[in-house]
Amino acid sequence: MELRKARISNFVVFVLPALFLLAVFVLYPTFRTIFMSFVGPEGELTLQNYQSVFASGDIINFKNIQQGQFPFGTLVHNALWIAIHLPLTTFLGLFLATLLRDVKGGAIIKSVIFLGMVMPLVVGGIMIRFMFDGNIGIVNLFFKTLGLPTQTWTAYPETSLLALIFGSVWLWTGFSMIIYSAGLETIPKTYYEAAEIDGASKLRIFFSITIPMLKPITVVVVTMTLLWELKIFDIVYVATMGGPGGSSNVLALQMYLYGFRAWDFNKAAVMAVLITGLTIFAAIPLIRSAGEENVQ
Amino acid sequence: MKKLLLVVFVLAATIFMGQQITVIGPWSGAEKDAFMPVLEKFEEQTAIEVQYQIYRAEDLANLLPAQFATKRTPGDVIFMWTSFMEKNTEHIVNLSDIIKPENFRPGALDNVTVDGEIIGIPYTGKVKPGFWYRKSFFEEHGLTEPKTWDEFVALLEDISKIEGITAPIASGNGVGWPLSDVTEHFILTFGGAELQKDLIAGNVNWTGETAKKPINKLASLLSEGYFGEPVEWTTVLEQWWQGQYGLYFMGQWLTGMVDDPSDLGVLALPGNEAVVFALDYAFIPKYSKNVDAAKQLIEFLAGPEGQTAQVEQGGHIASANGVPLDAYPPVDREIAELLEGKATVNDLDDSIGGMWQTTFWDQLKLLWVRPGRLDSVLESLQSKMP
Repeated sequence: MELRKARISNFVVFVLPALFLLAVFVLYPTFRTIFMSFVGPEGELTLQNYQSVFASGDIINFKNIQQGQFPFGTLVHNALWIAIHLPLTTFLGLFLATLLRDVKGGAIIKSVIFLGMVMPLVVGGIMIRFMFDGNIGIVNLFFKTLGLPTQTWTAYPETSLLALIFGSVWLWTGFSMIIYSAGLETIPKTYYEAAEIDGASKLRIFFSITIPMLKPITVVVVTMTLLWELKIFDIVYVATMGGPGGSSNVLALQMYLYGFRAWDFNKAAVMAVLITGLTIFAAIPLIRSAGEENVQ
Repeated sequence: MKKLLLVVFVLAATIFMGQQITVIGPWSGAEKDAFMPVLEKFEEQTAIEVQYQIYRAEDLANLLPAQFATKRTPGDVIFMWTSFMEKNTEHIVNLSDIIKPENFRPGALDNVTVDGEIIGIPYTGKVKPGFWYRKSFFEEHGLTEPKTWDEFVALLEDISKIEGITAPIASGNGVGWPLSDVTEHFILTFGGAELQKDLIAGNVNWTGETAKKPINKLASLLSEGYFGEPVEWTTVLEQWWQGQYGLYFMGQWLTGMVDDPSDLGVLALPGNEAVVFALDYAFIPKYSKNVDAAKQLIEFLAGPEGQTAQVEQGGHIASANGVPLDAYPPVDREIAELLEGKATVNDLDDSIGGMWQTTFWDQLKLLWVRPGRLDSVLESLQSKMP
């Protein structure tokens, strides 16, 4: 009886406040947004907002995809972010973490690389704009040295999205590098010693010990990077505002444009629902991985 | 007893203390310095204290809907896009009782009149007269102002041949409006003031031949490479001033941004008979706790007295009647006189506003680098019309 009373009082003291805050600040806005996405101009429940958003070409622009010219639509652009940015930052982070492990001064180099991660993304966006500028950009300086043509890469529909994706790799690589560095420290040194005694090559050790042992870390890195890429906004807003002609536009920016340029919060809610759905889908591996750890 | 006296004192001080209102506007730096004397003059006359806060319209567009939804406002008088006001009339004080159309330039109240009610005031504005050039640059290279379209194209060709020139015309970027200002000048020149008004009202389709014709003229120059690659507008201004470009389209505020305004010349496209007169507009939110004081300020800003105080600072043209010409500095006086003989129209993208404005700016960036995609640009503009 005493134990039961204690459980109830613990629930009231520790869980209820958290549940209350969760309900007010997460659950209510979430369900309200989902509801708003189904509300029409006269207040009626309808699918009109979804039809209008998907038919506009803002999400997927089939005509331009067929013609092979940007913009392809925000969903496709986000998919391109994932296809290019995710493997680049993940592998680069793993490579740097492995390379700088046990290296003298490695911590300092890691700190410098991590600077991109702690920098506000708005500043990162401005830096990307200048990096790819035709007159003063460091990218063009490099191209000029190699005798290659130069231009303002963010100003052209064919290159603006790619400039943002490649330009933002340094901003996120620090994250995967630090997580992988922490993961490498958890692998027992005895595994490596045993493998060396058995005559395994460094490459074999890397693929047979390091990579499998880092699997839980990789799930975290990939999931967090995926989520970052799905909700990417600041960099695009500052560097190109989604242009030229929508060629670098992304889902989150399109949501902002519906909400705070068109003042159509119902269409903005459609975008929010879409992003939330994709985010939940992307987070499943992380949730499943956390569940497995709890079982163990 | 002491506590009671203190409470009475605080209450009395609150009651007898002068009123205070907050004005929100986009001007900072030199522009703010030019606006403050206007507010100070109002304070002197009314003993109402005015606080000025800087918010860009883009930021207000994010902030105000949430504030209005909770029946709050960050300011008592707010300078904002008219397209925003039009969408939020239920949150705005009706000013029809204090603002009369006959006291303003013709058409000045068009953008703030909704269903016959006046919901805002036109303050002062700026004119976008044409392509600016350095007189010394023209003299050095033997260039003259063109009288016909062919002469204009020939001028661009001559400039392109000058050593060290990046392109004959500089293109401003970073913000959306520099490219839209040039485009509007082409619309006004080859379509007239009526076309611009029809486009604002949605009476003319963007994909039709009427709207396409003037923009096609612009696209032809873009195709020939007469316009430079879009560069951040203040950076390219420096480059133009240093001689990397021959011409730069900009509003009259450019006169305050160069080292030697006396070296400035301006030319409109041959045949141009109308100019954009871009006004700043202000409104009072219903949730202001000082509506009466805010109305006094609005009346002052909309009247000749307040606007005279503003134009005296330079860079502004009054929308109100009764502002004497000798109140303007010499450069602005010339522009004010020029306005007397020309048709004036409202800024196209400011008037339509909303999502369309952002689309217009963005699609023009595309047109500038890919003029061959003119048709798809016009289709996008039509599809986003409200």
